[in-house]
Amino acid sequence: MTEGMTRREFLYKGLTIVAMGATAPSFLTRTALAMTNPFDIAQVTSRPGVPDDNVLVVIQMGGGNDGLNTIVPFNDDTYYRARPRLAIPRNEVITLNSEVGLHPKMAKFKEMYDRGNAAIVQGVGYPNPSRSHFKSMEIWHTADPEGRTLRVGWIGRYFDSKCPVCEQPTVGVNVGPSMPLAMRSDGGQGATLETPDAFQWMPSMDGIGAREEMEIFKMLNAPATNEPGTIDFLRHTAMNAVLSSERVREAVRLYKGGIEYPSNRFAGSMRLIAQMIAGKLPTKVYYAHMSGFDTHASQQGIHDTLLEQLSTGVDAFYRDLEVQGNAERVIMVAFSEFGRRVAENGSNGTDHGTAAPMFVFGRRIKPGLHGRQPSLADLRDGDLKHNIDFRSVYATLLDKWLGADPSKILGSDFERVPFLA
Amino acid sequence: MARSTSSFNYDRIPESVTPPDFTSLRTLWETVARLRQQNAPQRQRFEALVIAQRGDNQKLQEMREWWVTRMIKTRRPLQEKLVLFWHGHLVSGRPDARLSENLFAQNELFRRMALGNFKELIVAISKDPAMLEYLDNESNRRGRPNENYARELLELFTMGIGNYTEQDVKEAARAFTGWTRRAYDFYFDARQHDDGPKTFLGRTGNLDGGDVVNIIFEHPATARFLPRRLFEFFAYLRPDESLVEELADLFRRSDFTVAPLMRTILTSRAFYSERAMRSQVKSPAQLVVGTARLLDVDSTVSPQQIRAMDLMGQALFYPPNVGGWPRGESWITTATLFFRYNFSNLPLVGGRMPGVAGRPSAQPPLPPGVTKALGGANTAGDAVDRLVDVLLAGAMDDQRKPALVKALGASSAQQAFAATGGDADARLRSTLHLLMSSPEYQVC
Repeated sequence: MTEGMTRREFLYKGLTIVAMGATAPSFLTRTALAMTNPFDIAQVTSRPGVPDDNVLVVIQMGGGNDGLNTIVPFNDDTYYRARPRLAIPRNEVITLNSEVGLHPKMAKFKEMYDRGNAAIVQGVGYPNPSRSHFKSMEIWHTADPEGRTLRVGWIGRYFDSKCPVCEQPTVGVNVGPSMPLAMRSDGGQGATLETPDAFQWMPSMDGIGAREEMEIFKMLNAPATNEPGTIDFLRHTAMNAVLSSERVREAVRLYKGGIEYPSNRFAGSMRLIAQMIAGKLPTKVYYAHMSGFDTHASQQGIHDTLLEQLSTGVDAFYRDLEVQGNAERVIMVAFSEFGRRVAENGSNGTDHGTAAPMFVFGRRIKPGLHGRQPSLADLRDGDLKHNIDFRSVYATLLDKWLGADPSKILGSDFERVPFLA
Repeated sequence: MARSTSSFNYDRIPESVTPPDFTSLRTLWETVARLRQQNAPQRQRFEALVIAQRGDNQKLQEMREWWVTRMIKTRRPLQEKLVLFWHGHLVSGRPDARLSENLFAQNELFRRMALGNFKELIVAISKDPAMLEYLDNESNRRGRPNENYARELLELFTMGIGNYTEQDVKEAARAFTGWTRRAYDFYFDARQHDDGPKTFLGRTGNLDGGDVVNIIFEHPATARFLPRRLFEFFAYLRPDESLVEELADLFRRSDFTVAPLMRTILTSRAFYSERAMRSQVKSPAQLVVGTARLLDVDSTVSPQQIRAMDLMGQALFYPPNVGGWPRGESWITTATLFFRYNFSNLPLVGGRMPGVAGRPSAQPPLPPGVTKALGGANTAGDAVDRLVDVLLAGAMDDQRKPALVKALGASSAQQAFAATGGDADARLRSTLHLLMSSPEYQVC
């Protein structure tokens, strides 16, 4: 796009489309207010001691991560009996204490752990666990095991509550193929992208010229009142896209780099997020994806690679933040929709299970092990019982990092997990 | 007298697109197998493997182009649309299913049985080599079963979640033990089959996979599940339960044959109702194929267009997961909307689009579909109305049309319009690109 576009201009187009005298859609007026100065709007309700520019990065480990081969109970013979072929040998485990240790491919994770930048929340799950990828993922995204609120996600509900920059289209940025349900909000904020270069509208070649086309493009795409749901949704997405496009590409242009990232898709996503953070995008939550954890067969090589990618990707990202001077501002949290069955199957893999560990990374966290490793002697249908409800982890993040009231967003309050003070 | 389902015998209608040939690729894989058997030197085996894999990837790309071209050119559009439906419903794909020939065979299975008996299709897909590899049933063995296929068979293919227990999943997995493959063919390995008693959905016996399928089709949820999915694919999401019940009744009465179900859906009042109009977000395949058919442009799809489809979120033979493609508004993100909007640069102006490699080609003539529509248009307003009719089925708010009049270079709708001369060609191309960069073009 050769011609720059201001948010004011785009919204002006929309407001002129709306018949004179009619009420402007609230989205437009709210965005019009918010766009003047994203970090300085008089709607900040965050708590004393919780800085407005805190950022959360959510890492989704899609497919169901085998928690037992990630945080390994190497001192428990039950584990070795249940997994004659897949268990991590005792002498390869990177020990954390006398009971548990890390998968051998998580050396970078261990370095972060030793420096006090990594926390492990053990045995996370929820009551009556679903072993369906889709149902369980939905539960994690909506924070609602009873399935009452399927339209919006827990992060989306946070965007809908008042928060710094919550009116911005870039308040939530997803780096991945589709917008996660977790980030869907009533206000329709949020942007998704994977490649900044392609994140722009391109006028036709040899047409009437970029400037004039862009003018007309705005007329055609600006939101208006009383339109059918799907068209209205498309117009809002178009507006979010155009407004985010410039900001994101500008932020990425300013990025100096210097930290080397591993060459895989996840690391690429983390690097892009680091670029956007460096570019001071008005964003509270970033979302990154890993996939392939659904290791029903030939698990070993696949799982090794994924855990190595997680560890090295997070490590590079964190070092980047340190160089930028943004390490204080950012924490990362990694989750999966479920763990896997305690016993291995006959395909050198594991089937869908229940409780699993979550990970939190950052400078301002309380590092180390939180909660208890689930007992291998006390199973339900061959699966682990959870000790910590995942909504306790969400409540801790909302309360202590994002400065929001967890009970309003999660429906009720949950005990905090002390990985944040 | 009611017409029999044989009136859907598509074999009578010729298809002109030549399918990919797998002969040389098979030879490459046979070499890999032979060298392994002969215990050839590591390096030789590795080289043969790399060559075969490269050949397989090229063949898969060829298949993708072949399929989309077929979607564009076909004289049996319902059949191709159903093949796409089945590809998104009984999901298999790369990277887990590795052999492109098996994915091709599965695609042909869907074509052959597109309107046939759903129960027979479920039996066939349970023995389908690509599926056996994709959901790991090929290594589902007696004693330590692999639950992957059994679970998705119940949850995603036939019944839907909430109609069975975790124990049912485990028992069904046991029933499918020993259902494996040898390269390109199904193979029942009796030694790996668990022939002990099992209890599935309340029925006990020495059940095998076929028995499990029979029991699934006796369950009321199964009669509702596929009709709902089909209706949603063709009409709109979340239909009324009474409508689903009607379709379920019909489906049961026709012994789970798809043809009568499709005929009822496509002739139903609901299908032509206000609610069904322009409420469906086009899938990337619909967008790309529909654009080519609508504009009557060169109907062989280019690799760039396939790449554009990938970026829009529909990489054929690489489904995002076993749940299949996104649906409805889930197709749309800020990223995919840009790809969908920028896409029209490819067929319209022979241009390029961000994210898709390749140099611009020579500018093609204006699409015949457009020049035909504009024949006899006298004013700019008239021209805009005709373009809106052709591209958007008339669905654009009058308040936005002045913007398009402006794109055509006119200051008012009454101003005279000429399709040729001056900068008319450039203005038309811009106007078309703008029309296709609109929310209205994304729905049907």
